[in-house]
Amino acid sequence: MDISVLQTLASRNLWGAITPEILLGGLALVLLVIELLFPKEHGRIVPVATLVGLVTILGGVLFNAPSAYLNQETFNGLLLHTHGGQIMRIFFLLAAIMVCVIARVSLAKQSLPRVEFYHIVLVVTAAMMLLAQSNHLVLFFVALETVTIGLYILVSYYRTSLTLEAGLKYLVMGALSSSLMLFGIVLLYGVAGNPALPAHTAQSMHYGQLAAFLAANPHNFLASIGIVLVLAGVAFKIGAFPFQIWVPDVYQGAPTPVTAFLAVSSKAVGFTALLALAGTVFASYAWLVAPVLTFFAATTLLFGNFAALTQHNVKRLIGLSGVSHAGFLLLGVAAVSRAPMAVGAIYFYLFAYLLASFAVFGVMAHVAGANDADQELDHYAGLAKDRPFLALVLALGLGSLAGIPPLVGFMGKLFIFIAAFQAGLYGLLAIAVIGVVVSIYYYFGWIKAAFFETWGKSVDAPTHPERTPVDFVTGFALSALALAVVVLGFYQGPLGAWLSAR
Amino acid sequence: MTMLQHALLVLLLPLASAAVIALFLRRSGGIASILSTATAAAIAGFALLLALNNDRFSASFEWLRLGNFALSIGFKFDDLAALMLVIVGIVGLCVHVFSLGYMHEDAAKARYFGGLSIFMFSMLGIVFADNLFMMFIFWELVGFSSYLLINHWHENAAPAAASKKAFIANRVGDFGFLLGIVMCYWANGTVNFTELATKADTHALVISTAIPLLLFCGAVGKSAQLPLQVWLPDAMEGPTPVSALIHAATMVAAGIYMLCRINVLMVPDALTVIMWTGAATALYAALCAIVQSDIKKVLAYSTLSQLGYMVAAFGLGSLTVSHAHGADTHTIVLAAGVGAAMFHLTTHAFFKALMFLGSGSVIHGCHHEQNIFRMGGLAKKMPFTFVTFTLGVAAIIGFPFLAGFFSKDAILYLAFANNKAVFAVLALTAVLTSLYMVRLWKITFLGAPRSDAASHAHEGGLTLTAPLLVLAVLTVVGGYTGIYPDVFSGVFDLIPEAHGSDHTVILLTSLAVTVLGAGAALALYGSTATDSLQQKSPGLFGALTGLQFSFDRGYEYYVAKVQQRFALFLNFLEQIFLAGLIVRGLAGIVGLVGLGARALHVGRLNVYVYWFLLGIVILWIYATFNF
Repeated sequence: MDISVLQTLASRNLWGAITPEILLGGLALVLLVIELLFPKEHGRIVPVATLVGLVTILGGVLFNAPSAYLNQETFNGLLLHTHGGQIMRIFFLLAAIMVCVIARVSLAKQSLPRVEFYHIVLVVTAAMMLLAQSNHLVLFFVALETVTIGLYILVSYYRTSLTLEAGLKYLVMGALSSSLMLFGIVLLYGVAGNPALPAHTAQSMHYGQLAAFLAANPHNFLASIGIVLVLAGVAFKIGAFPFQIWVPDVYQGAPTPVTAFLAVSSKAVGFTALLALAGTVFASYAWLVAPVLTFFAATTLLFGNFAALTQHNVKRLIGLSGVSHAGFLLLGVAAVSRAPMAVGAIYFYLFAYLLASFAVFGVMAHVAGANDADQELDHYAGLAKDRPFLALVLALGLGSLAGIPPLVGFMGKLFIFIAAFQAGLYGLLAIAVIGVVVSIYYYFGWIKAAFFETWGKSVDAPTHPERTPVDFVTGFALSALALAVVVLGFYQGPLGAWLSAR
Repeated sequence: MTMLQHALLVLLLPLASAAVIALFLRRSGGIASILSTATAAAIAGFALLLALNNDRFSASFEWLRLGNFALSIGFKFDDLAALMLVIVGIVGLCVHVFSLGYMHEDAAKARYFGGLSIFMFSMLGIVFADNLFMMFIFWELVGFSSYLLINHWHENAAPAAASKKAFIANRVGDFGFLLGIVMCYWANGTVNFTELATKADTHALVISTAIPLLLFCGAVGKSAQLPLQVWLPDAMEGPTPVSALIHAATMVAAGIYMLCRINVLMVPDALTVIMWTGAATALYAALCAIVQSDIKKVLAYSTLSQLGYMVAAFGLGSLTVSHAHGADTHTIVLAAGVGAAMFHLTTHAFFKALMFLGSGSVIHGCHHEQNIFRMGGLAKKMPFTFVTFTLGVAAIIGFPFLAGFFSKDAILYLAFANNKAVFAVLALTAVLTSLYMVRLWKITFLGAPRSDAASHAHEGGLTLTAPLLVLAVLTVVGGYTGIYPDVFSGVFDLIPEAHGSDHTVILLTSLAVTVLGAGAALALYGSTATDSLQQKSPGLFGALTGLQFSFDRGYEYYVAKVQQRFALFLNFLEQIFLAGLIVRGLAGIVGLVGLGARALHVGRLNVYVYWFLLGIVILWIYATFNF
């Protein structure tokens, strides 16, 4: 190969475009250095350094918005810097900050090394941000595996038997789903590179080229199998029925911050991929994608809500409620092809979900004892009397997740429902409304436990593990979340406009 | 700062004050009362600044957009809003200062002052609102804060019942108001006042009798017109400064203000209904007021009557005025109803707040005695209160050269010009007004003390007297439209003025009714411990008392006999079908499904893998089925 070809290729590697991701990777390495340099104090320094670094990077991204590389392909088409990608970059950074805030509380109850935890969170976040901007199935798969492998480690981080079991289950199920997805990708690669077919291409993993090929062959059998398998792999990430089976066990076994990471970031990764794939690349296979999405949405909505009803462990409960939220988001994705506003609605819903979920997880981290997997509804008895601040944050978070007006979750659901209505998905809407009604039952069961039930048979023998006091950083973060949940419910203003801009 | 920022500040200050009090100062009533009063002072200052600066503006920004439907929050600051803002600001400040003294000993002072702040916020929202929807939001907030303040002494049964009654009566009216807003939006595509006015100018407005009448329902509830007037006399269970602020000067006037805002939507049929509602209320309430023995109840019925006056004035509508310019005479149509109603609203706000605060001073001086037959001789004990209260009485009965004289004359003239029957009703009401006001004044202040409390009455401190002084000055000068800077000309230019022979007729009528009523009261009532009318003519007294309770009885009958039975019947159906079959049954099914779903998660990995693969197959079959 001529050297000038390589030079041309290299000249398209615009490293500036992925500065935030590079900085995250650098920060992750710095953490390891800190551990070496300060063998005694690194336990205190590392979380602070991580938070400061993350906030700085987030500030940099916000300061430089809109990115200079907007709507531009870099790295020879591996990346495409879309508006949606920018939104999700900020989303993942916010989520990482909150994961670290919760981890400070939760890790303090274990005697374990800290550095690796933050290190992996940073690397996984960088991979998520790359995935949100990927424009190529190979990069997509590599980024997705980086995320998943990082999460394998995080899930079993506490090394108790339940945690290890959860980690093993996640590993096996994840490997299974990855292999099926890879099989789907290979099928697409093969069929798109087949010289016998019109519009075949050598660059068949590039989204644009693949979309062009699929548009020219709208009823190819192999391609349709490939698409179904890829969608099934993505459905595993978002916990859509029938690939939700791992969710309760893994969510329960994983440490609370990791559960939050799985519930928010990992789910959002799936939806970013789904928006890019179902909305654009597979657009010409709408005859196949639409029924599959409808199937996912309907069954996920019903299953998530009904299964959450009978849970007593709050981590299982929030896991299955997360499945139902995936159902609402899938409803939005199903509406995208006929109602363009659905994209903005999905982003808004994701942010609303992020705010409310982390508020709830933040409270969970304070209520949980040393045995992280054992978090029962009963443990919340008398929280309102004992810790009014935590109880208030919990009530706002759960109220928002349930979609009670005027909290932000209500607006999120409203926008999704309007999009679905515009797209004419009346059947799915009816199912979603049933889902909302059912969900209120279990969310309020939790609120009831925190506010109205004071089992307190005897004050001197509390039946719940000791509750951690709220320190300044966590208190600030939780207050900010609670405030945002309320304020954004009343007024979406610039945020709404930014999220729905194209 | 721009004027808009000033306006925003005025609106948000009381909200901030209420929030701070609710969050941090619940236990420290002293700081809360100072914070709230300082806020009121700032509001009054900014209100004068905004009003006197001849800069009128409107601004609007989008709050929520759903497809084609947009909700906006905005300011419409014209002369009408400026006038209302000044009234709310000044009376609000007086009441805050008065409350400092009046509520000094109260245990829940912080809650009280927080309530005042949230009321100021809600009321200012109504004043600034540039569209009906925003007005409705603040309309409801005003109802809520009124509920909170009537219910201040919620340990007692009467205030709790009164607040509930006020809330429910207002809901009935608000239901019509909301329907009217929806209908207005449906018919015209907008509820923005400015856009509605523009449409009216270009004759693009949908003419309908239903819209103004439905919107008027809101005013019927809030301004306590027949037949929803029942809540206002009961609302006197709240602290007296609250009665002065909310149930005399500002909130109850919001209905009139709203009518003036939607003047462009009015049609003759609707105006006729509004006019007669107002006139009937004015007469009915004046009759009821004659037999009251509670000082606040007299003032409450008098407020009802005066609000009826304003509503009737609005309903009398426009007036054709001829202007002679040298040789040629040209006629213009004047929205005289708006001018007369707002003028009377302004003067009434001052003298009624003055009298309510005066009654508060009396009640405070007599150790919470409210029965006027157990007072007497207070003129000597409380000279300052006596003088200011006398000014208030003189103003309301239309004593020449005081505020009420001018505004009442404007209304009487408008009635004389437009509808003689209404003129007769209003003139009769004026006779009754001076009868019951002079009766109140004579029994309370003159003669000898008739109880221990009255003989030991004393004047309150500076916080009680200073507001009285301010309001007394305004009561004396408030009727001279010339003294208002011409920044309110948008409203005051609309006040009808009588000329020539009409002028003489109105002046004579006005003086005659005042003298007649006052003379009758002076002659009939002595300084006795019982009602003179009751002794001399028990039949008439009984009839008037019966009139007072007629509406309450009617509603009680309806609630107990009709609504309660219907509710019991519905409850029976609900128990069997909803609670039994649907809720229990559905809950059972849902629970079973939940248990089934739970059984799926057995926790065994090999089962999960099979399930996963089965999922792919299910999906594949489903997708194939759709091929």
